[in-house]
Amino acid sequence: MSPGTVHLEALPPLSIYVHIPWCVRKCPYCDFNSHEAREDIPESAYIDALISDLESTLPSVWGRTVHSIFIGGGTPSLLAPESIERLLLALRARVMLLPDAEITLEANPGTVEAARFDGFRTAGVTRLSVGVQSLNAQHLRALGRIHDVPQAQAAIEAARSCFENINVDLMYALPDQTLEQALSDVRGVLEYAPQHVSAYHLTIEPNTYFHRYPPQLPDHDAAAEMQQAIESLLASHGYDHYETSAFAQPGHRCRHNLNYWQFGDYLGIGAGAHSKLSFPDRITRQMRYKQPSEYLRRMVAGEAIQTSNVVPANDLPVEFMMNALRLTNGVERRMFSERTGLPITAVTTRLAQAVEAGLLVDSAERLRATLKGQRFLNDLLALFVEST
Amino acid sequence: MKRIRNFSVIAHIDHGKSTLADRFIQICGGLSDREMESQVLDSMELERERGITIKAQTAALSYRSTDGHTYQLNLIDTPGHVDFSYEVSRSLSACEGALLVVDASQGVEAQTVANCYTAIEQGVEVIPVLNKVDLPSAEPERVIEEIEEVIGIPAEDAIRASAKTGAGVRDILEAVIVRVPPPTGDPDASLKALIIDSWFDNYVGVIMLVRIVDGVLKPKDRIMLMSSEVTYQCEQVGVFTPRSENRDQLTAGEVGFVIAGIKELKSAMVGDTVTLTARPAAEALPGFKEIKPQVFAGLYPVEANEYEALRDALEKLQLNDASLRFEPETSQALGFGFRCGFLGLLHMDIVQERLEREYGMNLITTAPTVVYQVLLRDGSVIEVENPSRLPDVGKIDEIREPIITATILVPQDYVGPVMTLCNGKRGLQKNMQYMGHQVMLTYELPLNEVVLDFFDRLKSVSRGYASLDYEFKEFRADDLCKLDILINGDRVDALSLIVHRASAQSRGREVASRMRKLIPRQMFDVAVQAAVGAQIIARENVKALRKNVLAKCYGGDITRKKKLLEKQKAGKRRMKQVGTVEIPQEAFLAILQVENK
Repeated sequence: MSPGTVHLEALPPLSIYVHIPWCVRKCPYCDFNSHEAREDIPESAYIDALISDLESTLPSVWGRTVHSIFIGGGTPSLLAPESIERLLLALRARVMLLPDAEITLEANPGTVEAARFDGFRTAGVTRLSVGVQSLNAQHLRALGRIHDVPQAQAAIEAARSCFENINVDLMYALPDQTLEQALSDVRGVLEYAPQHVSAYHLTIEPNTYFHRYPPQLPDHDAAAEMQQAIESLLASHGYDHYETSAFAQPGHRCRHNLNYWQFGDYLGIGAGAHSKLSFPDRITRQMRYKQPSEYLRRMVAGEAIQTSNVVPANDLPVEFMMNALRLTNGVERRMFSERTGLPITAVTTRLAQAVEAGLLVDSAERLRATLKGQRFLNDLLALFVEST
Repeated sequence: MKRIRNFSVIAHIDHGKSTLADRFIQICGGLSDREMESQVLDSMELERERGITIKAQTAALSYRSTDGHTYQLNLIDTPGHVDFSYEVSRSLSACEGALLVVDASQGVEAQTVANCYTAIEQGVEVIPVLNKVDLPSAEPERVIEEIEEVIGIPAEDAIRASAKTGAGVRDILEAVIVRVPPPTGDPDASLKALIIDSWFDNYVGVIMLVRIVDGVLKPKDRIMLMSSEVTYQCEQVGVFTPRSENRDQLTAGEVGFVIAGIKELKSAMVGDTVTLTARPAAEALPGFKEIKPQVFAGLYPVEANEYEALRDALEKLQLNDASLRFEPETSQALGFGFRCGFLGLLHMDIVQERLEREYGMNLITTAPTVVYQVLLRDGSVIEVENPSRLPDVGKIDEIREPIITATILVPQDYVGPVMTLCNGKRGLQKNMQYMGHQVMLTYELPLNEVVLDFFDRLKSVSRGYASLDYEFKEFRADDLCKLDILINGDRVDALSLIVHRASAQSRGREVASRMRKLIPRQMFDVAVQAAVGAQIIARENVKALRKNVLAKCYGGDITRKKKLLEKQKAGKRRMKQVGTVEIPQEAFLAILQVENK
């Protein structure tokens, strides 16, 4: 089936993602582009490289307003607040950032990091995302985290006192975890009333330590129990379950992530960062060199993009749905053609199949997964996967 | 003619027949070293992998004997599996001698015994050969005793050889010259040539391998196949050395090939007699029969749009395999496919594997079944090859199933388990005979029970020592019924079975339980039921999955996550959608693997 040619009437909102590729230690479940910082991090050189990276890419986003910034990793909180400040100043000087732009920084809940939180706020960060993962000593050890329970609690507290908007990351279905333990983690976090909670089902990804040495995990049914119990618990505390794993107090959805899920554009700078950029006649994806040392070397030479390609029109429907249908309330129907540049007729047959299967609600205004569609999102998305 | 010897080799799989044939060819210089690929006679890739010979092949060898004369030795290779016993009998009838090759460390096996009896019945001189005498585990004395007791031919002067090292191989060729009589036959009589084998060649059409019994055959002769009386123009004749070499003529006593512009393999059937239209033989050679498939199964493409491709592939296979039958069939569950008839389970396996390997087909095979004769109330008898096509119970007077006579040769230690197995398969013991260390059991068994998993189980209860040979005996009425499998309430025709009423309950339970393990959990509960008529006799439930969703998806992940979805979807494509339920291919064979507790 040929979906037709791509034609975008207007370009979607743009966000910037900044990748900090170092961690103190690599976690056994992590498949992100992160590297153990064996020596001192070349902090200053890396900030310089990020700035050159941005400058070299500016022509492709010229004149576009930036809605949000997300500094992720790795462990961005390893950097000094001064470095973050220098980075944000450089960004503001080079792109048009909305006055109330959301600027998130990911932080590890260690003692050293917590002391920097106030500095991050002064540097311009508006939202802190704390990678707590669990509040159970046994599970923190199993996950290879370097922080302990009191440190995690102290970090959440510090984050709350420095920021008006924080997120806490939690994982469930951990090695040997019981339903009660999973709920206890959530309750422990709720005591601090963070504005946002992300609760992820621990997934064993290829190329991780856990993939090579699989831990004993709760079975499918137990994990599903945990998910539903966590959802109910958070709902009863006024958190809106707005995406597969994301929960927010009213008015505190993560704007940066919403932009991903609404198939917006993002410019990713830093080692291994991915970008998605739209143009009137095409949508492209880019990736920077992944190894920090190589990225730095390439950036000195003025070019860090390793791959750059136009997304085939055939792939756009599934890419759009993979994001949009994660949102509990879905997206406006017109957004499909606005963001993919394809006519809705490219997917009407599949939409009908999804409705028929009870997985999708397709009204005049919105596209939205049913509750069943949310639980079986992969089956729903399979309808949009091009047969190869 | 007195310098010609036609002989074949009788041996069990793995007893070293092909290696021995390679040695003969090497000694007689049939191929240069460079051409000498190991086991040249087994030319199909599959044969080489499985170590069995499927089609008879031949080599005309020129051997200089110690008596100073040069002899033409025609080695006619024979298939070594029960599915191909008819082809064996035709190969043997073209010979005056046969080497009985027995592995000196293993002893005699049922298949060998059956083929040896066939040879003796046809008046073929049998020369015992002990192979693999170089192995430390070889027990030549015991095996000699066994040959004498089990087969009943003198074996004290059996030739001791090792095809691997080459020891004793010349002794074998000398024995062939001394002990195998030269062919008899009248070159001046009307042509009678026996088709030993035939196969299809893309360039010249059908090639027939024949033994000239009487007369002479030359290119340009007008020939006639006596079963059909169709005539053809003979184009080429020659011999295999094992390379093909054209000759001016083939004369009585010789073995060689004939090419006559025949387009279809089924026009040149093994066992038929070739004669000349100008001077036809008065009667055909005895023993010709049309081979009938014994085992049937449905073959369905996983993707409906591959139906035509499957038809093409089957047609191409049939060019080279006259015993393969197929006709279109429609299944509610599996869509359009073909009901195929095979000589036996090995044959079915081979066809299936060739379709997958050589033609890239992605197939679902239903459990193999046999032909049933059904006597209807109105007095007519119909044949049913597909259990789902069994008429309404109300219309049936009786169902008759094919019964075989099975000969099982097994070491004494395993007689008990083998008898238990046969009894469990509704076997009727007809005979039991102690022969040295082995016991020969004769049973009448329903073929239906044998095509399920009998052979595998026989091997497993006897640690691989028991061997089996069988022949069709008769159709016999019994209390049989149809066992249906229902998935979420829908009868899946491709899973129906005909079973004995006494075992319906336990079979139903086993199949349902096995299906439960094979059907992956899906978005909803899947009920698997077994039923006889309207009565549900077993029920299993495949619990619904609770979710199937990726925990995370952010900007950088998209390409990788998309690949994951593609992989999940590809996995589903290998399953067959029955109603809304996805059933993996293995589940259709689940019926086969029951009872393996």
